Amino acid sequence: MPSGNGNNSGKTRRRFLQGTAATAGLAALAPSFMMRPRRASAATLDDVHMEAAKAAKELAAGRSVTLTIMQPSGSLGNVKPVADKFTEETGIAIEYVEVPLGEINQKVLLEAVSKTGSFDIALPATFGIPDLAESGILVNLDQYAAKHEPEDMQQDALYATGDYYKGNLYGYQTDGDTYVMFYHKDWLENADENKAFSDKHGYALKVPDTWEELDAMMAHFHRPDKGMYGGALFRTQFFIAWEWWVRFHAKGYFPLDDDLNPQINNDAGVKALEELVAASKTLYPGARTNGLFENFEAFGEGDKFCNIGWGGTQKFLNSDKSKIKGRMAHGPTPGGMVDGKLIKTPYFNWGWNYVVSSVSPEPEIAYLFTLYACSPAMSTVAVRDPGGYFDPFRGAHYKDAKITETYSKPFLDAHEDSMRNSIPDLYLKGQGEYFDELRVNLTAADVGEKSPKEALDDTAAAWTRITRRMGKRSQKVQWDFLKSIYPAGVRDILT
Amino acid sequence: MAQESLDATAMKQAAPPRRRGLPFNVALVLPAQLTVLAVVLCPTLIVLWLSITDWQPTSGVTWYQAEPVWHWNFYDLYFDDRFIGALLRTILVVCVCVALELAIAIGLALLFLEEWPWRKLAVSAVILPMMIVPVDAANAFFMLFNERGPINHIISLVIGEAFEFSWLADPDWALLPIMLAEIWQWTPLMFLLVLTGLMNLPENQIRAAIVLGASPARIFFRVMLPLMAPVIAIALLVRSIETFKIFDPVYILTRGGPGAATETISMFMYNGAFVYFRMGYIAAAGLLVLIVVISICLALSKPLKRHHG
Amino acid sequence: MSSDKPWLVVLKRSAVILSMVIAFFPIFWLVSTSLKPFDEWANWPPIWITDRPTLQNYRIVFFPEAAREFAAAQEGSLDYKVSGSAWKSFQDSAIISTLATFFSVVFGTLAAYSVVRFRTGGENYPFQFLTVRMFPPIAVVVPMVAMFSVLKLSDTYFGLILAYTAFTLPFSIWMIRSFIEDVPAELEGAAMIHGMGQFKAFLTVTLPLIRGGVLSTALFIFILNWSEFLFALVLTSGDVVTITIQVANYVSASSGKLYGVQAAMGSVSTLPVILFGYIIQRHLVRGLTFGAIKR
Repeated sequence: MPSGNGNNSGKTRRRFLQGTAATAGLAALAPSFMMRPRRASAATLDDVHMEAAKAAKELAAGRSVTLTIMQPSGSLGNVKPVADKFTEETGIAIEYVEVPLGEINQKVLLEAVSKTGSFDIALPATFGIPDLAESGILVNLDQYAAKHEPEDMQQDALYATGDYYKGNLYGYQTDGDTYVMFYHKDWLENADENKAFSDKHGYALKVPDTWEELDAMMAHFHRPDKGMYGGALFRTQFFIAWEWWVRFHAKGYFPLDDDLNPQINNDAGVKALEELVAASKTLYPGARTNGLFENFEAFGEGDKFCNIGWGGTQKFLNSDKSKIKGRMAHGPTPGGMVDGKLIKTPYFNWGWNYVVSSVSPEPEIAYLFTLYACSPAMSTVAVRDPGGYFDPFRGAHYKDAKITETYSKPFLDAHEDSMRNSIPDLYLKGQGEYFDELRVNLTAADVGEKSPKEALDDTAAAWTRITRRMGKRSQKVQWDFLKSIYPAGVRDILT
Repeated sequence: MAQESLDATAMKQAAPPRRRGLPFNVALVLPAQLTVLAVVLCPTLIVLWLSITDWQPTSGVTWYQAEPVWHWNFYDLYFDDRFIGALLRTILVVCVCVALELAIAIGLALLFLEEWPWRKLAVSAVILPMMIVPVDAANAFFMLFNERGPINHIISLVIGEAFEFSWLADPDWALLPIMLAEIWQWTPLMFLLVLTGLMNLPENQIRAAIVLGASPARIFFRVMLPLMAPVIAIALLVRSIETFKIFDPVYILTRGGPGAATETISMFMYNGAFVYFRMGYIAAAGLLVLIVVISICLALSKPLKRHHG
Repeated sequence: MSSDKPWLVVLKRSAVILSMVIAFFPIFWLVSTSLKPFDEWANWPPIWITDRPTLQNYRIVFFPEAAREFAAAQEGSLDYKVSGSAWKSFQDSAIISTLATFFSVVFGTLAAYSVVRFRTGGENYPFQFLTVRMFPPIAVVVPMVAMFSVLKLSDTYFGLILAYTAFTLPFSIWMIRSFIEDVPAELEGAAMIHGMGQFKAFLTVTLPLIRGGVLSTALFIFILNWSEFLFALVLTSGDVVTITIQVANYVSASSGKLYGVQAAMGSVSTLPVILFGYIIQRHLVRGLTFGAIKR
């Protein structure tokens, strides 16, 4: 196999640029996505759902309108209660097309090619929005937002970074899918353990602030012969990149520099990967193969020190099926010291986002539904469903009694804190290709097939090729924009 | 054959001559021909076009407006480890599966050669796997090779300790369940072909060999196998072509994963086109595969032609 | 090879029994799993035959209320959920498979007749249909998606019927051709002497004689259509759902953890194929070798 030449085969050959037209005029982008044209809408956060329903009803007056929502399997419990209310108030019928949750972004993108009109509204995962926006399947919602969106709608959402692409609004985040840490509280508070640990490390056990502290604690608690394990972190190929992403950002770097050259293979990146690989030795035996369900079921056994996960993880761990219910401490993902300052880089890595199909004959009504569904009042109804998987993402959700009961107060505190400061995924066109290269190489490093340096160098080379193929100028427009909307506390520290 | 052509010629002469419009016989093949053209020729032309573009839906233009990149897709494919890997892996799967299918089929067919009670019913029972929707068969194997499935259970019972191995998550082993599913499902077809071939062998030659005192093994290798050659050739050809396209079990069992450890050529192209949406690039891969497959088929289709007379 | 020693006979029979067990085992597992209650799906050690057989899994497949009830009972495990009904997939598969089979067999019969009796296009003409079958479908799905988007055929019955018809034509032409070849042309000639038109002679004399063959071909092609997966996967996006897509959806909806439901769907969806397969058992070999090997 001609593998040796593969990596730098295409260095000088791609010069064409796609989508140059789309990038024109974006140079004058406002520094913050919040600064948008004055709105004509009189709606406020409290009554936006009623205003949206009213506007939709007027638009549909005298016609029979049906909206079809393409939703990931399992989310009907979140979507339907809201949709039923919408139908009740507007007379607009709503139908559903359900697709496997891992495939919904592909299905929406396929629609950009086949244009069947099989849905008006879709719920793709947020990281896919750049690809979907570039393909032309998403409606640019700015015009409708100017008309209907209350002024503080997006500020109220704790995480809206993924709703925008190159400065335009393409969707509404409807799920707070940020990474949160779970710790075994009994172990943290055990006096003997505390003494043993602080004798060695000079500080007491606590919810760790940095990855170094976490790694030390996992190593401390990892005693497989006694049936105790350091952690239940993920090491499958699909999940591994996410942990590294947090570890890397916590060392103070953006993944790309201003000229879109990868920085992932710098010393910090290599160090982050070395630490990740070392930490693999302090994980429970199933880490390499177990996906989400097996992961939280394993942590639910109560014999592991820490775990990483989302709201759904907490829903299970806080249920009667879990032996660790009520014995957990929570925190944002650990951070790192950059120039003497502690930064935390909690990470928003999935999350569902309401978007409108450009093939829809009723884009404005479809938009009004998404606005309705993401309004504080209605999104609270959606998040309440205990069997669904929309996690809290607006201030109002954290005050709801039913939601608090499902998730528990300590978790919600950590979650809210994380949501406000979450770093985004690599929201560039071709996100899947960038991340898959990363995943394959990180796994190779984790199982020892490549050295960390090699793995990241290979990834960086592949990223450069992907960037060139995607059109560097167009990617730079979005990258500049994306960097500008990293959370303020993180943005200023990262290089 | 010769007799038949004569008859056909006679019939042609007997038929009233048609001069105007479409000849009757051409009109008869027209519906079939047009359908095939619509679904095969048009896409082939589109493949030719797409293969010289790097069109992706995310480029924001329709496929026929894409900008050509000429030979670069092919250049990239040549250096694409994943593509080459998928191609080699597919060839491996074809060789292993078809060879094992044939070996098992011959062994099985010999068991069924002579008459014994319930023989017909037993044949029907043994060919059950080929009557299953391939996706459902793959689904069944998915459960069999699950961490907590019966295969691990049987292994546990044999070795006497708990054995929980996730076959499908292990890059070194994940291809095994896929190949076993394929072999399980299609050995029966091979078996039927071989059995048919064996039953149609001229009995007197074999009897002659028996009378001459040849050993069973000798009879099998020296008399039966050579006589069976055309049937076996067809069986190998048909199964190789079908196995080369293997997709359903891979999709259901692993989607080509973990990583790209079980990516066959069909799975590679599906992932490329419908997960990464690199349509132009995959069209180029498709074109290469088409050329390879068609040239192999043309070379191998001789036995089929000969057999048909 | 006819006078075997007793131990050899025992050995041979045991081999036959073993092969039957292997042939049946995955199906047994499918059916057995489909009858297990939820808490036994992922038991370790696995339960081979449940003590508490239930039809719940089949109800989940066919009745949306049962599916929702089940999903509601499994809270905490986010994804153990199915909310749709599989009825539609059976309906869609039946419509598409039947119509595509009809067109394939009708077009195939006409073409086969023309090829056998007129030698249309010469000796090599029928082979160009065979190349269709040698095409890896994956190589043409990308352009088909592009073409269908322009023609507005994506996610329609007609689109899939067109694709299925084209890709089963090689089978119908070659199979029916081999049946027609078995009928001497003189029979039609005799009818024509009595003043019948050539095509009418075919319809009234030859066609009734190969009726069984044409029917087998139809069932054979129906099986192929019913089992088809790849085209359905890329050419539909929700409006049209075939049974193979439904099976795949169940598998991927939960990373394959809906064992009981997957098994129930699998057992039911493969039934027509088993039934039709045994009806045409005699002709299977002929079909799968394009009529090259007759029985």
